[in-house]
Amino acid sequence: MSLIVIRNVSYAYNETRNAVDGVSFDVKKGDYVTIIGHNGSGKSTLAKLIAGLLPIKEGKIIVEGKEVNEENIAEIRTRLGIVFQNPDNQFIGSTVKDDIAFGLENKQVRSQDMDAIIKEYAEKVGLTAFLNYEPQNLSGGQKQRVAIAGILAMKPDIIIFDEATSMLDPKGKKEIKKLMYDLAASGDDITIISITHDIEEVLQSDDCIVLNRGKLFMHDKPEKVFEDAEKLRQIELDVPFIEKVREVFAKRKIRLKANDLEGMVEELCRSGSKH
Amino acid sequence: MSNLVFGKYIPIDSLMHKLDPRAKLIGLFLMIAAVFVPKSWWIFLLIALLLSIALLLAKIGIRMIVQSFKPMIMMMIFLLVINSLTVRTGDILFTIGTFAVYKDAILNTMFVIVRLLLMISITTLLTATTNPLDLTLGIEWLLTPLKVIHFPAHEVAMMVSIALRFIPTIIEETMRIMNAQKSRGVDFENGKLSEKISAILSLIVPLFSVAFERAYELADAMEARGYVPGAERTRYHVLKFRFLDFLFMFICTAILAVSILSRFYL
Ligand SMILES: Nc1ncnc2c1ncn2[C@@H]1O[C@H](COP(=O)(O)OP(=O)(O)OP(=O)(O)O)[C@@H](O)[C@H]1O
Ligand SMILES: [Mg+2]
Repeated sequence: MSLIVIRNVSYAYNETRNAVDGVSFDVKKGDYVTIIGHNGSGKSTLAKLIAGLLPIKEGKIIVEGKEVNEENIAEIRTRLGIVFQNPDNQFIGSTVKDDIAFGLENKQVRSQDMDAIIKEYAEKVGLTAFLNYEPQNLSGGQKQRVAIAGILAMKPDIIIFDEATSMLDPKGKKEIKKLMYDLAASGDDITIISITHDIEEVLQSDDCIVLNRGKLFMHDKPEKVFEDAEKLRQIELDVPFIEKVREVFAKRKIRLKANDLEGMVEELCRSGSKH
Repeated sequence: MSNLVFGKYIPIDSLMHKLDPRAKLIGLFLMIAAVFVPKSWWIFLLIALLLSIALLLAKIGIRMIVQSFKPMIMMMIFLLVINSLTVRTGDILFTIGTFAVYKDAILNTMFVIVRLLLMISITTLLTATTNPLDLTLGIEWLLTPLKVIHFPAHEVAMMVSIALRFIPTIIEETMRIMNAQKSRGVDFENGKLSEKISAILSLIVPLFSVAFERAYELADAMEARGYVPGAERTRYHVLKFRFLDFLFMFICTAILAVSILSRFYL
């Protein structure tokens, strides 16, 4: 059975229109799922519904066999973490170690066990030297890593990233993406849902969901999603550069299979030298 | 903002820094009471002496203490003037033209000023040596008995610690918005009153809207990490009274006792 089951979920902030509109899909254990779509297409709303931060009034969401509702939410939250976009607005403690401790305190971990856990996860995100730092002395990327450490310390099965890299500088983006890829590669233990505008990240994922005006527009392997350039253009979503290159060559009857520029050039050179 | 020393935490290591925040808070209350009771200069001298030792142990420089007095200077002068005009008892100290200044006027003012200065020093001793988070934990502990009458001690402490955590962020934001508005030609320094008001509004409105957005997002982040207001939770910082804390509170109690007794015997 799927780890997360979403069935006919709708949500409206006001009467004018549904921010999320009849969305259904499943997420398998250990998968790395990306969600893309325009600004305002309902991605964050969907994430908040899964995390139980908004009440589900229509449809249902089941996480690890438990329906997301008032009764189960406390338990679900011990298994599901969410990293938000703005690094400042999720830094709760006054220092790095206090912030990592925040979730542990809520989970009622014994005080004497906390230091060891905090050190372990600070090390995982490479912040061992920063444990006593205050948020104003950290970069955006470092603050996001603190948020991730705080969530990992609670040993979740599922982590949702809601545009966790979009407010960061290129260096910060790279750091966080590397962390996410490492987590995704760490096996079946962690399932990742990542809301992103980063096409390169989408191509790394196992599954891609395209939302458009609250509705599920496409759901497929990322290569498949981008192959259907026509369909993406319908909703004016950008096709990644690499797919544009593939398309141009396809028109000349040259089929390229590689998923990165390097590989394509390789393929081209190989096919060129054969002639 | 950097010239604001009153209430600022100095992150160094010292004997005073190591004391339990609750001991320091209780000590602060005892000492402030001790400052208000006596009428004898000897007691003030004794308190000042002991306080100097404590400040020395806390590695707080005399400069910081003097700086923390600065905002009070105007008030002290004002007090002196008012007292000189109104107090008409005791010997005449000197006359300015036909106006006589009485001894009690000066004496009363000196008492008030000395009390104020001692109070500020005591408070500085507390805030400079206690990190804000520990201070909140201490306040929460002191307020715990009020839970009996359903006073939300924990929630208040959480609110205070979050406010403290966000002050630097909000200051930074204020600067950012001010610069953005300045670059659009808003003038914060010059202009007519109406222009000044609209300049301030151009700062306040975005500041509030961003602050609310922050508050909502922070609430989501806290909730997502399992925070339930009022629910049982463990603590990373566990406060622990040690021998030195008891010694410190004992000394403070002794000072209060001496200053109360001085009212009767000195
Ligand atoms: N708190 C709110 N109150 C009212 N309407 C909201 C609220 N939050 C979002 N909306 C609206 O709901 C719709 C979906 O918003 P949502 O934030 O889920 O989109 P998104 O896909 O995450 O966009 P973005 O890429 O900008 O983050 C938008 O039309 C938005 O204006
Ligand atoms: Mg969003």
